[in-house]
Amino acid sequence: VIRVALAAVTGIALAFLLLPILALFLRVPPGELVAQLGSEPARDALLVSLKTSVIAHVLILGVGTPVAHALATRRFRGRRLAIAAIELPLVLPPAVAGIALLAAFGRRGLLGDELAWLGISLPFTQAAVVLAIVFVASPFYLRAAIAAFAAVDPALVDASRTLGAGRARTFLRVAVPLAAGGLGAGSSLAFARGLGEFGATIIFAGSFPGVTQTTPLAIYALLDLDFDTALALGALLVVVSAALLTAVNLLPSWTRSPSTFPTPFARSASS
Amino acid sequence: VKRTLALLVLLLAGCGGGEDRVTVFAAASLTEVFHELDPDARFNFAGSDELAAQIREGARADVYASADPRYPRALHAEGLVGTPRVFATNRLVLIVPRANPARIAGLSDLSRRGIKLVLGAEGVPVGDYARRLLPPAALANVVSLEEDVKAIVGKVALGEADAGLVYATDVVADVRAFELHTRLRIPYAVAVVDEDGAEFVRRLVSEPGRRILREAGFGPP
Repeated sequence: VIRVALAAVTGIALAFLLLPILALFLRVPPGELVAQLGSEPARDALLVSLKTSVIAHVLILGVGTPVAHALATRRFRGRRLAIAAIELPLVLPPAVAGIALLAAFGRRGLLGDELAWLGISLPFTQAAVVLAIVFVASPFYLRAAIAAFAAVDPALVDASRTLGAGRARTFLRVAVPLAAGGLGAGSSLAFARGLGEFGATIIFAGSFPGVTQTTPLAIYALLDLDFDTALALGALLVVVSAALLTAVNLLPSWTRSPSTFPTPFARSASS
Repeated sequence: VKRTLALLVLLLAGCGGGEDRVTVFAAASLTEVFHELDPDARFNFAGSDELAAQIREGARADVYASADPRYPRALHAEGLVGTPRVFATNRLVLIVPRANPARIAGLSDLSRRGIKLVLGAEGVPVGDYARRLLPPAALANVVSLEEDVKAIVGKVALGEADAGLVYATDVVADVRAFELHTRLRIPYAVAVVDEDGAEFVRRLVSEPGRRILREAGFGPP
């Protein structure tokens, strides 16, 4: 009896999770769905999303990778606190992230006067969208990256240093390749989270087509005006998210393939 | 397992509600007045257009009150709500943050370069009315299109936007309002969605209901 009940509950749970996603694709015929993506509001929103997500992601990887490495390998006072603080935005409700960003970088925010003095006004700009994405998405990358760097065998790093490679070279040629699996998984998750950003963006950056209206914001705005286009954008985000999720699941096996490791000692470490 | 299942079912049933409280879908601009009119009702405040979309998608409501008679009229034509009835009127005002950083004193200032203007999105009544009044040069200064009137007030009250156009009844302490010398009167219409809502509508158009609306700044229908 318990087995049957368990199977039934599992079935119900799966159906509950998958049905809404399936419904997205079933309500409008696929051809129509693709056609809607070419409409002006959809194109505008996709371009804004692509641009802001890519810029935010470059920032996250560029700044996040060395920071994660330092946090994973250096021992200093307040390190655990720093790691905990980095993870806070991870669990913060997006709306809270939005008002927090306003409180810090808004015109009347903590740094409002300083920014105004520099001639910078962030709210309602694409820069604000990028900041919102970096704020909510970077912890996903940092968390994975810290764990990945921490798992790198310090003996290999020491070997690289004794063999004459400098700090930077060791970081780029030894630590990063060894941590590649974790970095890639974190990177995909962060990108997916950034692409779906809604609450912080609508509060901090507002919503204007072609400027700050990202795809999730456009879905919200189009809900009443053009439900089909909203559905099409939703379906596209599902496809992109699914692709990113697949990447996350494939990455660890990809890094196990010896061809990705340029040096023999690195290969032995991953086995 | 059985006990867990029973608990789950109980939890879901609890969310379903279904007791005798009336469910009112109303334009965001009616938030304060409606709470005063019937503190026990269950409210869903949002842009009138969004509410219409929700009713069309099958959301359970007893009353629908809109800041634009077009939406209840369309829903009535589709057989989803009863005959709409105008119960009040509103007017648009120009709001600026208390400190008024952009030194705005009227509609004509909104065309100045660099002004950050916030309006309602297309289809949101407060935005559609505003677009009828504003010169094209001012429309070029729009930095954000919000989904309901409260979001516009919020962005201006915070001082992030320089100005916004909202209903006279939405003015809060953190903003300064300028009357617009226009004859545009915005009719608010209410329709019964389910007969359980009839009592709420009766109360709304009764003398006490009218008084609450009047005190909040609404005009007569």
